[in-house]
Amino acid sequence: MSKIVILGAGIAGHVAATHLRRKLPQKHEVVVVSPNSNYQWVPSNIWVGIGRMKSEKIYFPLAPLYKKKGIGYRQAKAISFYPEGDKTEEKPYVLSEYVVGENKGLQEKITYDYLINATGPKLNFEATEGLIPGKNKAYSVCTYTHADHAWEGLSALIQEMKKGKKAKILIGTGHAKSTCQGAAFEYILNVEQELRKHNVRDMAEVTWISNEYQLGDFGMDGMLLSYGSMTMKSHEMVEMIFEDRDIKWILGAGVYKVEDGVAHYENLEGEYKIETYDFAMLIPAFSGHGFKAFDKNENDITEKLFKGFMIVDADYTPKPYEEWSVKDWPETYQNPSYKNIFAPGIAFAPPHAISKPRTSKNGTVISPAPPRTGMPSGITAKLVADNIIDSIKSGKESLNHKGSMGNMGAACIASAGYGMTTGSGVSITTYPIVPDYEKYPKTQGRQLGKTFGEIGLAGHWLKLALHYAFIYKAKMRPFWWLIPE
Amino acid sequence: MTQRISKYQRFKMMNPVIQFFKFIYLSIKIMLVVAGGHGGTRKVN
Repeated sequence: MSKIVILGAGIAGHVAATHLRRKLPQKHEVVVVSPNSNYQWVPSNIWVGIGRMKSEKIYFPLAPLYKKKGIGYRQAKAISFYPEGDKTEEKPYVLSEYVVGENKGLQEKITYDYLINATGPKLNFEATEGLIPGKNKAYSVCTYTHADHAWEGLSALIQEMKKGKKAKILIGTGHAKSTCQGAAFEYILNVEQELRKHNVRDMAEVTWISNEYQLGDFGMDGMLLSYGSMTMKSHEMVEMIFEDRDIKWILGAGVYKVEDGVAHYENLEGEYKIETYDFAMLIPAFSGHGFKAFDKNENDITEKLFKGFMIVDADYTPKPYEEWSVKDWPETYQNPSYKNIFAPGIAFAPPHAISKPRTSKNGTVISPAPPRTGMPSGITAKLVADNIIDSIKSGKESLNHKGSMGNMGAACIASAGYGMTTGSGVSITTYPIVPDYEKYPKTQGRQLGKTFGEIGLAGHWLKLALHYAFIYKAKMRPFWWLIPE
Repeated sequence: MTQRISKYQRFKMMNPVIQFFKFIYLSIKIMLVVAGGHGGTRKVN
């Protein structure tokens, strides 16, 4: 009998838990450890943030589902890792602390045979002075509670605009090294459409602020894509959309401080500037959770497991940008020191950025970190689960399932406005996610036929269909496994 | 110069009939890209 412990119940953690439970006999134990009581479908936060979807529609409680399906569940947060056990506990374990109920504050050594670290990122708001969701007129849509607050702020501003107030709206990244530009991109287009629906568009100046060097970079170095009968660069496509929507943009901006209605930023020229606003949504930097790890004798071995995020089978050798290779990216998400530990989704440390790193004239790094969205999170979690299942069934280590982001496609269905007949979406697929310049040297590292963009109402329908399909899948309704990651 | 979205393009983008077929087409195309498999990038000797 094996015990598999999964840290985190986001997209990666939940996907791993559900597949493990479905494919492994009941004699094997699957346990999820998460401080969150709910599963949330993060991509729909955008619609919560414009008041078009109630937050209750995008989450559901985990405990009843896990109880029904035979998945163990501890509402606790991981504190430290003991991959060799300790002097009193022979088995490897994760020290965890309960966060609710009568056990709140109680610590438990949760032992495991296999560990899946799917803790995702820490939303590092502290990295930007004054960037606190709901404070200083700045909001976030990273969680459904943040998105609820964002809608409260936006809604109040719309009411003021209806009374004649002119307003400035600022949306983008809130740190020089933020990622997830896609979410901010969706939000700015949705906000812009909402302003039009409320007949206050002409009262607002809408501005995009980002650490990207070019529009449409998205932390993926941009892309060359097919658009209808044309081939265009992603920055041309986004520029076309922003021009069409009358959205201004500020690029190469590293926001370092937020005050009431004022964002301070440094640009690549090394200039320190400010941008005032009445409503802002700024994506924070992401970071690891700062976990510590100890060996059997309780010596600190954190560097064997973590490099900010978790160390996996990537090539972390420092080298110049020109020498980066798609082969540096991990394939199995297995920790090289402890072979029974895996880190799919956002929990693994990327070997390097995807976008070319840039620094300001003052030496400040102003460059997007690599994005790892829902789709690759789900795919990598499933392949980790499949490798563990094979290893348990065969009785020896099996790593036949591989999925490098350099050999994996992803779809980004970016909402550009909500409405069954008036909505819009920008559907972009990319193959591969990490550009492979050896395989596709003439098309910016990507395969053109599989890297394409479309704009229109169908994109909105697609995003809505994905919302319902993935919540159905997450709830493990009949034949849920037929829906691909 | 930045590409502009023409009136005809906008009509096509928002026409529910055209977009219905686009929805079917995109669903299949995205499925093929995403569910079309994934693998490693390193050759094993």
